[in-house]
Amino acid sequence: MKALVRVVPPERILSAQWFTLFCITRVATAVVAPLLLTLQGVEGREVLLSACALFYGALTVAAASWWPSLRTQPAAWVVDVVAVLALIVAFGNWRSPFYLLALTALVLPTTALAPRRALCFGAGFVLAFFAAALYVGIDWHAIATTARVQSLFAHLLVPLLVTGALTFGAELLRALERERRRSERLALEAERRRIAWELHDSAKQRIHAASLMLSALPPNGDGDASPVAAARRELSAATVDIETSVTDLRGPLLEGTTLGEALCECARRMSIGAGTEVSVAGDAPALPAFVAAHAYRVGCEALTNAMRHAQAAQVEISIRASRQRLELVVTDDGAGMPDDVRPGASGLRAMRNRAEALDGELRIAPGQDGRGTVVALSAPLDRAGRATA
Amino acid sequence: MISVLVIDDHPAMRAGVETVLKTTEDLFPVGAGSDEHELWHLVRRTRPQVVLLDYHLPGTDSLLLCHRLKNAVLPPAVVIYSAYADSSLAIAAVAAGAEGILNKSAPATELFEAIRSVASGAKVLPSLTAEAVDEAADKLDEEDRPVLALLLDASGLPDVADAMGIPLDVAAQRVQGVIERLRVEVPTLG
Repeated sequence: MKALVRVVPPERILSAQWFTLFCITRVATAVVAPLLLTLQGVEGREVLLSACALFYGALTVAAASWWPSLRTQPAAWVVDVVAVLALIVAFGNWRSPFYLLALTALVLPTTALAPRRALCFGAGFVLAFFAAALYVGIDWHAIATTARVQSLFAHLLVPLLVTGALTFGAELLRALERERRRSERLALEAERRRIAWELHDSAKQRIHAASLMLSALPPNGDGDASPVAAARRELSAATVDIETSVTDLRGPLLEGTTLGEALCECARRMSIGAGTEVSVAGDAPALPAFVAAHAYRVGCEALTNAMRHAQAAQVEISIRASRQRLELVVTDDGAGMPDDVRPGASGLRAMRNRAEALDGELRIAPGQDGRGTVVALSAPLDRAGRATA
Repeated sequence: MISVLVIDDHPAMRAGVETVLKTTEDLFPVGAGSDEHELWHLVRRTRPQVVLLDYHLPGTDSLLLCHRLKNAVLPPAVVIYSAYADSSLAIAAVAAGAEGILNKSAPATELFEAIRSVASGAKVLPSLTAEAVDEAADKLDEEDRPVLALLLDASGLPDVADAMGIPLDVAAQRVQGVIERLRVEVPTLG
């Protein structure tokens, strides 16, 4: 079986790649501008501007690294555009060596926004640049020459080109990523269906056949205590286990919902007309799929027990997830667990198996004042990337 | 001696049933097949008294198969052998004309008893609850409900045609439609 690895939202991977592009271009252009000025022979104010550009380049890269939320903050984008255009204005000419630096202000917004908005942002940038050019003054006589006209148009069109290219690239990657995730999910579901089919159509039939043949053995007088009877009970429990697994395998993965939401939904499905009040406190947004699926099943099973068997009036579910552990506690005020658990109570065994599969612990105990039941699952998250074959 | 034909798609199940039948004095397996084609072939050749029919045959609706079998010349008694033998399946099985329905997890003695009972003309069916009948009726169109009632009353195809006042071939189609609708979806199909 394929190893299930810790799930990082693909958007985060993509945005990290765009951030790398931003850092490289920002640092490169911040260095290029002073170099260009040096080649032309710098004077007093330009030295200061070069230092400003270098400082600003380093500052923005550092700030965006330190506070990742800045990368997707529209206010931060606007401040950035204003700052880089201010450098151009301070230089006093729209044909400025800081122009390339200004273009890098487009990288993060255009890759983070939806295509239409990204193009709007690019157009806004062009207008802002044109306004800045008007402010520092366009020499309309010089513009009359072909070369200058071309240069002005190039300055105005390049941001649009950059925006278009980045938007297109970002959208393409997003679409590819979506498609990849979809096909991955389909493959996983097909595999789960295949396993379910095999369990049901082959393993279960064999167990039935074995049980049938055992039952035809001549009785040796021990009645229910005989090894044959015990073996048949085990086989019968095995078919129940298989049924449970088949149901699980055919159930949905927790695709797109959090553990808390999924458990809320599970409670809602069960509590229709049951008169049980279920509250869910806390949530665990980014769980590995494997952990989430098992924790969900444990939670559902505990809910089922509380509502169906213990006739609880109130069930409290608490979910806490740290970097290292997931804690799921289901507390009810019902009749509690029976002292002698039924032999066919595969639900409890299934819960223990799930806890084991997660390398975690399952604690089932009476409630605080002796009423009800507490089911507590504690599972490590830091080892969740291991193979689960 | 009661001759029994076993139809099951899984070899382990066929072998298991044949093995346990051979341990008895009065039951003997005349053959075992895995699909509809083998069923007809073996029925014609061996003329069994009882057919033990798996409910979940891949690619075949076992209930329709049972219905066709019961409407053939000299029909054998049929026991639907299923991993899911709840009351909704029982109604579908009765409508299809089966004499018995048995869970695959039942012990061998129960299997023997069921075969002996249906061979002697008795029925081995769980009692049909009113809720299960209502639930089954809900799956059908209004005009098909009398057909179900007639089928549950153990009426044959000619009786249905007679009671409904429709030609025999139309009645056959109606009955087939009802049985198809009543089919209980096994969770692992699809």
